[in-house]
Amino acid sequence: VKKQRKFLVGGGTVAALVGYLMFTGMKDSMVYYHTPAELVAKTTADPSYKDVGVKVGGRVVPGTVHFDQRTLDLRFNVVDIADGKTQFPVHYNGPLPDTFKEGRDVVVEGKLSQAGTFEASTLLTKCGSRYEAGAEAYES
Amino acid sequence: VTQIGEVALWIALAISLWGVAAAFIGGQTRRGDLVLAAEHTVLGVFGLLAVASGAIITAFLRNEYRYQYVANYSNVELSNFYKVAGLWAGQTGSLVFWALLLSLFSSIAILQNRNRNREFMPYVAGTLLAVLAFFLVVIVFASNPFKLLPFAPADGRGLNPQLQNYWMTIHPPTLYLGFTCFTIPFSFAIAALVTGRLDTRWITTTRRWSLLAWFFLTCGIIFGMMWAYVELGWGGYWFWDPVENASLLPWLTGTAFIHSVMIQEKRGMLKAWNIFLILGTFLLSIFATFLTRSGLIESVHSFAQNLTIAWIFLGFLSVVTLVCSSLVWWRRDQLQPESQIESWLSREAAFLGNNLLFIGAMFAVLWGTIFPLVSEGVWGQKISVGPPFFNRVNIPIGLMLLGLMGIGPVIAWRKATARNLKRNFTLPLAALVLVGAGLWLGGIHHTQALLTFALGAFTLTTVTVEFHKGARARSGIEGEGYAKALVHLVARNRRRYGGYIAHVGLVFAFMGFAGKAYNVEKQVVLRPGESVEIASPFGHSYKLSYQDMSWYTAKNMTKLIASFRVEKGGRPAGIMTAEQRAYNQREEINTEVGIRRSWDEDLYLIFAGVDDAGGVLTGANPRPATTFRVLVNPLISWIWLGGFITAMGTLVAMWPSAVLAEPKTARRPVATREPELVEA
Repeated sequence: VKKQRKFLVGGGTVAALVGYLMFTGMKDSMVYYHTPAELVAKTTADPSYKDVGVKVGGRVVPGTVHFDQRTLDLRFNVVDIADGKTQFPVHYNGPLPDTFKEGRDVVVEGKLSQAGTFEASTLLTKCGSRYEAGAEAYES
Repeated sequence: VTQIGEVALWIALAISLWGVAAAFIGGQTRRGDLVLAAEHTVLGVFGLLAVASGAIITAFLRNEYRYQYVANYSNVELSNFYKVAGLWAGQTGSLVFWALLLSLFSSIAILQNRNRNREFMPYVAGTLLAVLAFFLVVIVFASNPFKLLPFAPADGRGLNPQLQNYWMTIHPPTLYLGFTCFTIPFSFAIAALVTGRLDTRWITTTRRWSLLAWFFLTCGIIFGMMWAYVELGWGGYWFWDPVENASLLPWLTGTAFIHSVMIQEKRGMLKAWNIFLILGTFLLSIFATFLTRSGLIESVHSFAQNLTIAWIFLGFLSVVTLVCSSLVWWRRDQLQPESQIESWLSREAAFLGNNLLFIGAMFAVLWGTIFPLVSEGVWGQKISVGPPFFNRVNIPIGLMLLGLMGIGPVIAWRKATARNLKRNFTLPLAALVLVGAGLWLGGIHHTQALLTFALGAFTLTTVTVEFHKGARARSGIEGEGYAKALVHLVARNRRRYGGYIAHVGLVFAFMGFAGKAYNVEKQVVLRPGESVEIASPFGHSYKLSYQDMSWYTAKNMTKLIASFRVEKGGRPAGIMTAEQRAYNQREEINTEVGIRRSWDEDLYLIFAGVDDAGGVLTGANPRPATTFRVLVNPLISWIWLGGFITAMGTLVAMWPSAVLAEPKTARRPVATREPELVEA
């Protein structure tokens, strides 16, 4: 072990450094990931949870999408994929991602406002459907 | 006829399993005929996989939509170029493609070594066949590309428009070339462990394979960044997406590996460490393939969730880790270092620092990538971490590595004396201070960007001095002109100077990354005839005048095109267009950004929305209100230039000696040439 001392000291130093950076980095950017049903249940039980930034994965409800081409305000409802019932409106501002479409699965990050609208700062269209979906469509 | 491909896959699986047994039994019992048979099996598996891949491509070209895979990724209108690329457009095909590449490289390695390294070859062939067999099991049982639909649809679903891009066509195969290439050094490491021949032989004999793997991986990552920059339409090139991270992980350990093997070659240290690095690189390559294909983690790339495949992959990773760790433990006595690090101020220590930082970065990226899974497993609550986490960890590590790139190549072995330090680092440190102070006075106050430029100047100076010293010494001894001496210097010491060239490229790329700190972005609504101005961080400004909105119908899409006249600092600077395309088949809008590239900055134009697209098409609304995002991205071109230089440097470092050898010079006796040239 004595022979490897420098190796261990160096390793320990880098591990401590990386550990510190990771720890502080986690604190800054950790975000809970919820389904719409989970988020509604949480905020109903504890209204202060609305102030916590979260990620929500759900499905875009067909017929609810409104995109203002001028202001780039996008509004749509997102529904829980599992229960198919729980839904709430989402507001996002920015260019429409190319893969955004009714019925697609999306992940939005932001906060549920007091009015019950989810104010999203990021919008990610999941491309699971984009690459491979429809296999079943042919089978049915 | 194309069903022959499925038959080929089954035969390939059967013979590769047989080959694994033949190789290991042949190796242990020293039966040359069995070993030879196993080696021929590798060639046979390559032939069969070529047949299977050919069958898939044929099915694409002949529009055989009875295959689910073809129906999902092609349609009649798709050009033949993308039909051929259909082989790797989706999960099932790309696994076949992976195996095809691996069997190709395996065959080359087998043929290269038909008269060399004979004691390694049974286990090399056995390991390669075992990996191939694993992929064939996944393909045949869990992800069959020849799966038939209950009926044959008249047309397929077509290829996602975002994938109809040149970079996207070559990005996955390039990455796969890198992933599969790393399997060759890995198999030699296994052979070294099994045979107990743990000197540098396994490293020197696979040096070029490791560099080739690194070359492909680097190119693949850069192609992916180029694709994201052009196609995703938000002006960025990297957003710490799980699949991007997955390709970065083996790159990080692979980079550590190609550096640390030099320490083993020169000083006989880090023997077990190198084994673990190549093992880790191999495992992470498999992990990257698996992460892309399983959809376990939320990602823009993720393919349909397929948990069967996830479990098979995880099982394989665990078995490989267990087997390798046991082998290392078994051989621990032969893996003792022959010497120790004597001083912190030594090349060994610099290389060790480089390695530890790369491994640290790897763990951080891995942790951030799988954290949603870990947190769900441990606390029952999915928690994800975003780009701030990755930047927070990797920017400081990157800056330290940037500095080490300047220190490592020139600091003395064993123990640097004060004289050595003074001679090598006075000028680079002066460059660091001068550039840092100059930029600070010039208004660059962003800490990370400033550090990047200053450390970059430091590293560039050490490398330049190295080139200069070498060329001057050579021109003095050989009486050559300076330029000729410089060329010969590089040609004679390709490994060393190729590495330096790669470092120069990386410094440029770092500068490009730092440019992000000075991005400018603006969103406007314009009608044709109106214009917008945007200021560049370099002081001048752009004026973009919206000329008109036109449209036309192409083969499988309708395009809306917004044209701009650009003025830079009051002078005409050409025309720019940005498009929105509606593809007939997929009911999707695809944004094609406009990019005006120059060496110092890119002007980037996004067509984000138009108030009345229908009116444009009918002619009722010739002057629609259109929403644009305009970005100025400084120094982006430096990333692509740096990537290109790094790739070229890697090519120089691995180029076989015969090609660049000077024809006029008499061949020197083998013994006086550098060892790595002999190994070629």
